[in-house]
Amino acid sequence: MKFKKTFSDLLVNPKRTFLVVFALILGIWGVGTVFVSNFILTKDLNTNYQRTRPAQVIFHSAKFDELNLQQFIDLPEVETAELRDFSLHRIEVYPNVWIPLWLFGVEDFEKINVAQVFQETGNKIPEAGTLLVERDGKKVSNIDTGKEPRIRVGGKILTVKVSGICFDPAQAPATQDAFIYAYTDMKTYSQITGLPNNQRLIVRLNNVHNEADVKKISDILANELDAKGITISSVEIPRFNEHPHQWQLNTLLFLIGTIGLLAFIMGAVLVSQLMKSVMASQVRQIGILKAIGGTQRQVFQIYVAMLVLMGLSAGVVAVPLSVASGNAFSYFVAGKLNFNILTTTLPHSVYAGLMAASVLLPILLSFSILLKGTRISVKEALSDYGISQNVAQREFGFLKKLSLSNSLILAIRNSLRNSKRLTITILAMALGVAIFSTGFNVRQSLWNLLSGLKNEMRYDVQVALNNPISKEDAMQWFKSLDNVKEVETWVGGRGEIQSKVISTDKGAGIIALPCDTKLLQLRINKGRWISKSADFKVVLNQQAMAVYKNPALGSTLTLTVGNKNVNAKLVGVTEQFERAKIYVDLEQFDAIFNPDHLVNTLIFVARENDYSKVIELKKEIEKSISKSDLHVLYVMSQAERVKIIYDHLNIILTSIVLLSFLVLVVSAIGMASATGINIMERTREIGVMRAIGATPKKIYSLFVMEGMITSWLSIVFGLLISWPLSKLAAVFFGNLMLGKEAILQSAFSLSGFLITFAVTILFGWMASRIPAKSAIDVPTHKALSYE
Amino acid sequence: MNHPILSLQGITKEFRSKERTFTALKNVSLSVEKGEYLAITGKSGSGKSTLLNMITGIDHPTNGTVQVNGIAIGGLNESKLAKWRGQNIGIVFQFFQLIPTLTIRENVLLAMEFVDVIPKANRSKRVNELLELVGIASHANKMPSALSGGEQQRAAIARALANNPEIIVADEPTGNLDSKTADSINSIFSSLAHSGKTVIVVTHEKNSALKYKRIVNLLDGEIENQNPLN
Repeated sequence: MKFKKTFSDLLVNPKRTFLVVFALILGIWGVGTVFVSNFILTKDLNTNYQRTRPAQVIFHSAKFDELNLQQFIDLPEVETAELRDFSLHRIEVYPNVWIPLWLFGVEDFEKINVAQVFQETGNKIPEAGTLLVERDGKKVSNIDTGKEPRIRVGGKILTVKVSGICFDPAQAPATQDAFIYAYTDMKTYSQITGLPNNQRLIVRLNNVHNEADVKKISDILANELDAKGITISSVEIPRFNEHPHQWQLNTLLFLIGTIGLLAFIMGAVLVSQLMKSVMASQVRQIGILKAIGGTQRQVFQIYVAMLVLMGLSAGVVAVPLSVASGNAFSYFVAGKLNFNILTTTLPHSVYAGLMAASVLLPILLSFSILLKGTRISVKEALSDYGISQNVAQREFGFLKKLSLSNSLILAIRNSLRNSKRLTITILAMALGVAIFSTGFNVRQSLWNLLSGLKNEMRYDVQVALNNPISKEDAMQWFKSLDNVKEVETWVGGRGEIQSKVISTDKGAGIIALPCDTKLLQLRINKGRWISKSADFKVVLNQQAMAVYKNPALGSTLTLTVGNKNVNAKLVGVTEQFERAKIYVDLEQFDAIFNPDHLVNTLIFVARENDYSKVIELKKEIEKSISKSDLHVLYVMSQAERVKIIYDHLNIILTSIVLLSFLVLVVSAIGMASATGINIMERTREIGVMRAIGATPKKIYSLFVMEGMITSWLSIVFGLLISWPLSKLAAVFFGNLMLGKEAILQSAFSLSGFLITFAVTILFGWMASRIPAKSAIDVPTHKALSYE
Repeated sequence: MNHPILSLQGITKEFRSKERTFTALKNVSLSVEKGEYLAITGKSGSGKSTLLNMITGIDHPTNGTVQVNGIAIGGLNESKLAKWRGQNIGIVFQFFQLIPTLTIRENVLLAMEFVDVIPKANRSKRVNELLELVGIASHANKMPSALSGGEQQRAAIARALANNPEIIVADEPTGNLDSKTADSINSIFSSLAHSGKTVIVVTHEKNSALKYKRIVNLLDGEIENQNPLN
């Protein structure tokens, strides 16, 4: 019978029951989505990556022909190994649009056991003279099975047929890096590239648990190979067991984790507040139950059963929702990162866990409230005659000093009457505002970074050559170009810096350019830009500063290029979204390292530089290159460079704004629920106000005013929180997305501020409007008799 | 002959549920003259509060008409009804029902602000006079929770008088008070009636009903008798 009471109590106030269930659904849905997508994404990205059996170390040598591969594989440290050639070329993806081609020569497609690729369509094993192309490349090209794209290898152009599309989840997505990955057999590889086979050995190791283990064993193996006369020219150690774009997934998981946590907190707060309100309205009934012999335990059971019923109802809705949204998000991310969702069905334990959370969480969250509510004595319970007296009644004397209308004073005091609930509502809403605003600010930081790039690099197209050649040889192919205002030639290469206090074997890119160039105007963080002078001067970007452990400005460094050294004075530090770079004056560089004045970079400035004209110029440059014997590394327009960076960040940018918007929506729903509870608790008060002459419009305005007060306070607090949060987020996302050395300056987004402001006010208005509307729909006599 | 300030004609009020229909008032007709001091009595469930809700327009009759000062209030919409009520009828509840987040002064001012018939410039002075009248001027700036039950009920009476209504309606105003405090509240109602207000009080306390000029006794939703005591 007592459980019949439970059931009928739920139906007595269906609106309130709905609110509790709705709050629970929100909480469980948020947590469930995070749980499901976390489960799928972390498992599947890793499974996708691991099932390719990625190489843990890559050795380069010109003498692998002398290697007895089986003997090498039999070494106790080696799990397995294969020869896999690799070289970088260019491929035409649309007419006169070329992008880098990563070409792999596979030893034996039948026995491929390291860095595997999987068949998608067409041939599993490419016929002789043909290629397999990685599937993500289809999204950035018109290449498909049966097509014969043009490939530029050094100075020559070939046409190679694509005989199949394969899937290589171990590579960075082609869509983001603007690369095409292609695979062919060793013989075809050699025919296409003209390069010798067997230059690269990819190895999986036994008993390695981290990058340090890999490095230790790699050193042993390199020494053993050296001892056998196979000189190792270089060793590559990829990140241990980590997909190249794991950082994106980490960022996204962090984002959805935050959202899930917020949804959970919101749900938790709502449920406990609602249960408090439910218990307040049940005081007299509790007294009656106790008066007729019910023990505290029995009464407690009734309310626990109520929560179980509501939890179950919420679970029935929230669990499938969580699975659906978790799956949808996982597919979205998998599409962006080019991996397959392998989890088709979730284990029963996931469903059971979510259902258990639906039932147990509300009990857990409301335990103390139920305990307190059911502990009330019969005398106390039966003398309760309303809920309106049970509020903090403070004067807030400062209000008297202000010349405010009584309605406004009433709205302010009502907003403050349940300070705990108000604090929670404002905190939740402020957090939503802060995250939403921070989302815009981080986005602004990234935009600033991108627009900074445009301002810093004031050229339109860059042609990078594989090897330095004479300026005349390089320029002769581009004389007939129409839309060219100016061409500069630079040179560069890899160099090392050694100082008196530090020594490193890590190299950095050297860019030698005219010191008075107008085409590169990098932001100077410290010191100044290079200038003409008798002594050798260098400017480092911040990434290079980090590599060389922040040498002091003005200190003299030893710059080594090839086998030549020069003492160079560090005169400035630049801020850049780039890898480690050392900038030197072209004349000084040529004098010491480049006596033949060779060049390897051509910088074009277009006369008409709107986007379409620049792309047209780039196509013209490509056409000229196709007639030349130039060995081109890449041709890139500034617009494309920005686009590539943008594409890398886009998924994060979109997610930040979308998810932060969701936080705000959840916060607004939280606020609506809190206003709903406020109104429910004050139903009798509404009746009294109507009885003393308040029109429905006035009561409606009063509640909307209360909502607006909460919204304004939330905006103020939210924006205050967003200030430090934006700074932290800029550092966090900068590190996460752009690497440890990258700089992401925190920024203030005015449009973001205005949108946040408008959306919060709108949500606040809606969140109070809906419950306020329901408040005035209650007839006066019912409001007066409401318990 | 004076026109009645309040006239109820053939009032029937039914409460319908799926299972049954309960008739709380059965064809009740009642006429109240201006300045009358009237008690509505009856046992619990006799229809007293329902009748009061009909008089104040808080609820609407199933059949019949309610006229106050010649206005048929059934024809007014919710907004007009609220405004009309604030202007013409002051209501005093059993449990005082003061707004807990406003001071006593502000509670009275709020009623004036809602109805907007007392000029703004006169409101503060009027509040002082009303609180003086009910004897709680010294508590004007206190919150309701700081006052005793009797003092809260005095405040509620002051609020009921805020817009100078002709009719004061009180629903068991002393039901939650001790006898001494109840007497002092009753004396306020009595003096209000003497000053020309029409005072209608619902009570189930037969002894206190003897102080009224007329007693309307309800039984099972019908007027059992109307007993003019003078």
